[in-house]
Amino acid sequence: MKGGIRLFYSRLLRVKEIGSLSGLLIIIIIFSLLSGKFLTRENFIGIFTITSELGIIAIGVCFLMIAGEFDLSVGSVFAVAPMIGALLGKIGVPMVGAFFVSLFASAVIGYFNGLIVIKTGIPSFIVTLGAMMFYRGVLLAVSGGFTITFMGEDTAFLDALGGKIFMGMRASGIWFIAATIIFSIVLNNTKYGNHVFAVGGNPGTAKALGINVNRVKLINFVLCSVMAGLAGFTMFGRFHSIDPTAGSLHELEAIASAVIGGALLTGGYGSIVGAFIGAFLIGVMRSGLILAGAPSYWYQGFIGVVLVISVIINTKIRKAVAG
Amino acid sequence: MTGAASITQEERDKKIREYLVYMENVTVRFGKVVALRDVNFSVKKNEVVGLLGDNGAGKSTLIKALNGYHQVDGGEIYFNGERTNFQSPRDARDVGIETAYQDLALVNLMSISRNFFLGRELVMGNRFFKFLDKRKMDEVAAHSLAEVGLRNIREMHETVNFLSGGERQAIAIGRASYFGAKLLILDEPTAALSVAETEWVLRLVSEAKEKGLSVIIITHNAYEAYEVSDRFVVLQHGKNYADLKREETNAKELIEVIAGRK
Repeated sequence: MKGGIRLFYSRLLRVKEIGSLSGLLIIIIIFSLLSGKFLTRENFIGIFTITSELGIIAIGVCFLMIAGEFDLSVGSVFAVAPMIGALLGKIGVPMVGAFFVSLFASAVIGYFNGLIVIKTGIPSFIVTLGAMMFYRGVLLAVSGGFTITFMGEDTAFLDALGGKIFMGMRASGIWFIAATIIFSIVLNNTKYGNHVFAVGGNPGTAKALGINVNRVKLINFVLCSVMAGLAGFTMFGRFHSIDPTAGSLHELEAIASAVIGGALLTGGYGSIVGAFIGAFLIGVMRSGLILAGAPSYWYQGFIGVVLVISVIINTKIRKAVAG
Repeated sequence: MTGAASITQEERDKKIREYLVYMENVTVRFGKVVALRDVNFSVKKNEVVGLLGDNGAGKSTLIKALNGYHQVDGGEIYFNGERTNFQSPRDARDVGIETAYQDLALVNLMSISRNFFLGRELVMGNRFFKFLDKRKMDEVAAHSLAEVGLRNIREMHETVNFLSGGERQAIAIGRASYFGAKLLILDEPTAALSVAETEWVLRLVSEAKEKGLSVIIITHNAYEAYEVSDRFVVLQHGKNYADLKREETNAKELIEVIAGRK
């Protein structure tokens, strides 16, 4: 009987998301005790809306991190994509077309990030830090610092991206869930996913066994950037306008989500569902602190604490089950 | 010691045809450093060759030139009678050259069966969607690893991080024989192993030969090399230094040769 319990315990620890999931539950319980309005359907729909935009970015970031690279430019791409969409919309380009042009532009940004990292061997942290500043600068220069609003009638498509669908739930939530499922399946159940783990875990081994390490990294850079562009567009679907400073700090929150979800900063280990939970946890804290009456300044401080605690716990679990 | 120039065209053609590996005047440069200079190296079919030399002699570079990890700057390489032009280790694996590196054999955070099939995953599904056949991968890995004496492993989805050095080598060797390798290259396979595990790995080398494989074993331990090899090739400073048959030498002498005293 005791052996059975131990087996159950070791199986449970083997679930990569167990740390973030328990953290999420604990925080939900704390906030529902602090505020009666917290554990309501409306509130959770609200949380889910904010979470979706961050979460779609976090999925791409997590996928790239598992391959052993960073992308700090996602916060800027998050604003670049809808900015391109809004500007194209203003000159009469149909929104569907503008959307695909924007995603293509995001892909190109990701491609160049990856290309520079691969060709020069400079750490992606530095390359994408530069990209983050560069594209943010372009955004501010092009917009003059002002919010750009899209007043066109062609909004059905935008609604499909970020509009309300039912019970106040927004379409972005669907994209978030769909992206989580797709990326999770690709990562865990396909050949490509196996290569992503190998490239992040030990690029030398991956190369020696015939995996094209640079190709995997490049593809992941592109996917990560496209996800950031998609996330930006779902926000555009919500507001029909784009503020050139939108998405600042999203890159760090996305990394925090992935790390809370169990991803290893050095690559080779992580979970897409974990990143989903991580993003959700950040959304829960934001909402919970407001409802509990804490000044909004506490939000960042709180996330910092949760981040460090969760990494400590995740590291302990990982050492126990994966060495 | 023996240059390619000293053999006739006819002999050369015969060697290319009959040998599994025939490398001629291979040169590899890293920037200004010449890691290998006009090295000749060959492996007959079903032969175990001990590739010896001190640190920095060019042993690893030579096998990396053979298996496509490095591109050569000069010379020709033939495998199984065909001139090779491997762009990556993938091409080499496809024709039956499997390499187990000292430090690059496995990805620590990945499971045993994922490591076993890395780069050659089993998939199922249709033309558009292909998914890993995890159950089959676990089964095959467990079965193949039992054949190389790795029986006490509990679960195939455990990470390789917990395995001993010998167990890790056994996975690399088991993987090579499962994928039908003609040539198995072992880079310092016993570097950090206990005495018992060293014996195990050397036994696996002998078993691989019995199965008809050729093996290149890189080591600086002359005693271990002497135990399993048919022939010894010694490199020094990136050049050929000696080529000795087992009958012609003994372990003591090999040590002197490796050290450059003989």
